[in-house]
Amino acid sequence: MSDALVTAILALGLAVIVVRRRSVAIALLSAQSLLLGAGALQLAGERGSDYLVASIVLAVKAIAIPILLFAVLRQTREQRLVAPASGPLVRLAGAGALALLCVALVPPLGLGDPQTERTAVALVFVGAAIVVARRPALLQLVGLIVAENGLALLAVSVPGGLPYVIELGALLDLVLVVTVAAAFTRRIHGELGTGDTELLRGLRD
Amino acid sequence: MTELVPTLAWLVPALPAATAALVLAMPSARAADRLNIGAAVLTAALALALAATALARGDQPPLHGRWYLIDGASGVFEAVIAVVGLCSALVSPAQLRAGGHGWFSARRSRRLYYAALYAFWATLLTIPLAGNLGVVWLLVEATTGASALLVAFSGRRAALEAGWKYLVLTSLGLTVALLGIVVLAIAQPPGGLHALDWHALAAAAPRLAHEPALFAFLLILAGLAAKIGWAPVHNWLPDAHSEAPAPVSALLSAALLPAIVLVAWRVKTALAPAVEHAGAVFVGFGLASLIVAVPFLWRPLPWKRLLAYSSLEHMGVLALGIGFGTPLALAGVALHVAGHGLAKALGFYAAQPLLRLDPDAAERAPSGVAERSAPTATAMGVSLGSLAGLPPSPLFLSELLILLGGVEAGQGAVVAVAIVALALGFLGLLHAFMEGVLGEPAGHARRRAHRGERRLVALTATLGSGLLALTAAGAFLPGYAFVAALARGVL
Repeated sequence: MSDALVTAILALGLAVIVVRRRSVAIALLSAQSLLLGAGALQLAGERGSDYLVASIVLAVKAIAIPILLFAVLRQTREQRLVAPASGPLVRLAGAGALALLCVALVPPLGLGDPQTERTAVALVFVGAAIVVARRPALLQLVGLIVAENGLALLAVSVPGGLPYVIELGALLDLVLVVTVAAAFTRRIHGELGTGDTELLRGLRD
Repeated sequence: MTELVPTLAWLVPALPAATAALVLAMPSARAADRLNIGAAVLTAALALALAATALARGDQPPLHGRWYLIDGASGVFEAVIAVVGLCSALVSPAQLRAGGHGWFSARRSRRLYYAALYAFWATLLTIPLAGNLGVVWLLVEATTGASALLVAFSGRRAALEAGWKYLVLTSLGLTVALLGIVVLAIAQPPGGLHALDWHALAAAAPRLAHEPALFAFLLILAGLAAKIGWAPVHNWLPDAHSEAPAPVSALLSAALLPAIVLVAWRVKTALAPAVEHAGAVFVGFGLASLIVAVPFLWRPLPWKRLLAYSSLEHMGVLALGIGFGTPLALAGVALHVAGHGLAKALGFYAAQPLLRLDPDAAERAPSGVAERSAPTATAMGVSLGSLAGLPPSPLFLSELLILLGGVEAGQGAVVAVAIVALALGFLGLLHAFMEGVLGEPAGHARRRAHRGERRLVALTATLGSGLLALTAAGAFLPGYAFVAALARGVL
């Protein structure tokens, strides 16, 4: 995968932690999944089945999941934007620092492509940072999928690819988790009148 | 029996999975209840037959199939998941009658509950049998969706909070674990699915490059720790255990957490040749979990929340045993998983009549239960006494074996800290017993809970006898061929 593509995939992940609107975050996620899918198709081996699996993953992650997320968005309209816990620059600085830390700490993994290796690990932790730093439930779900995209970036770069069972099984698991999380998001919105998870802080010891 | 293993290894997960689908087509709640009872008994019988076959093999090498690996550890964990799943299924109709519909409409509620419960149980029963790290990851991740829905089943705000936290944190953890598995796949060209088989990993480990292997091991362990609820990544655990319906709490604590501990244990045994000091990571998680859990055992917490912190403590004890890795410690781990499973499940089942007796016990520590209901107090007492490690609890013996294993491994300082933490935990649970079960009842509510008490008496007698049988069996465990096989790992 070209360095520019890998950098663009990371930049889209970092952008999710900055943007204000949930719709923009979903669009960014969709673009990230699309670039990742395009890269995977480029890397797919000569077997037709490699293309088929890469196409299924691309269709689900870049089209089906964003459609589901947009549907949830429509059903959970906010009266006004959920106030962020910290400013966008602080969030970006935090996620950027985390990404740099990953770059510094990740040992050579054996792909022979240090940029992809480091970016993939950094993206997983940027996804985790989105989950921690963003308050709306839907944005936390987007963070989870950004982390999964980081993992997928490394997975598609494995010579010969991951076994189909793992690749398609992980996709099925992702769809299950996103479907359940979407149901939760609707229910949380129905219960609280907002998707602000900051209000879900009743359980403390 | 060995020739039946391939058939049983398919049937055991397939039966509850088919039940999960079939129950959705049941015409009435009563029919769903009847299917539940029949399927639970049959599933548990088959799983126990498989477990008995695995345990009877002593120190013979594990049984391998195309997708399964069955060894002594599979036998222990499969038996625990079978028994806890059976008991949870049997007490579920009463839970559903008392708990209302919550998240889902009354018409769909019961069928969806059973469908999620059986899907969850089927996946749990498959985890100890799966012979491949990648497939195990898929199964562990698959437990998340169904169990998160069950945690939030009541639809209350607190349950939604607990379910959401559980879903997000454990999914994130498992993404990190899968990243570690991909790193392992890169380290083993030309790869392929069977390169991730437990025995293939163990055979290839001595040839793996040190740095990527260590990095993969740490990522996998950190990710699994989030699902096990080892400190410091345990935030979801007390919330999910306290908010889930009691039968689900029992499955989460007594079956799910140990099943993931087994996965972590297999990762350690497979990768140990490539990762120096792999045991130290387990010891670190173990001590952290003990130290974080013990102060909470001293606080006047609601009953299910107290049991949740006790789970954190016991998962810490298991981590210590696996970290020490000596045959004595591993004998202790096997006994501890079984003893903890029975005692903790009984504790959660006692919550059903307890909450009918005193609905406020969902929000505050119980008090004076013995004066209001002797059967509920007895179940709580048996559970607390066993979890505290009060002889003749099998947990006394298992903790002793694990600590002696630590001394054998030359980890005297760790053992000393663990002894202090366990002693404080023991006193904390004893205090909870004196105040909550024997003390003066607080408040004015004096309702008696007749419904469900006979069921609880039967469960207390059965699980209590099981605990005593485990103690008796545990006394003969060290030196038994089965322990040598546990210490040898998956090869």
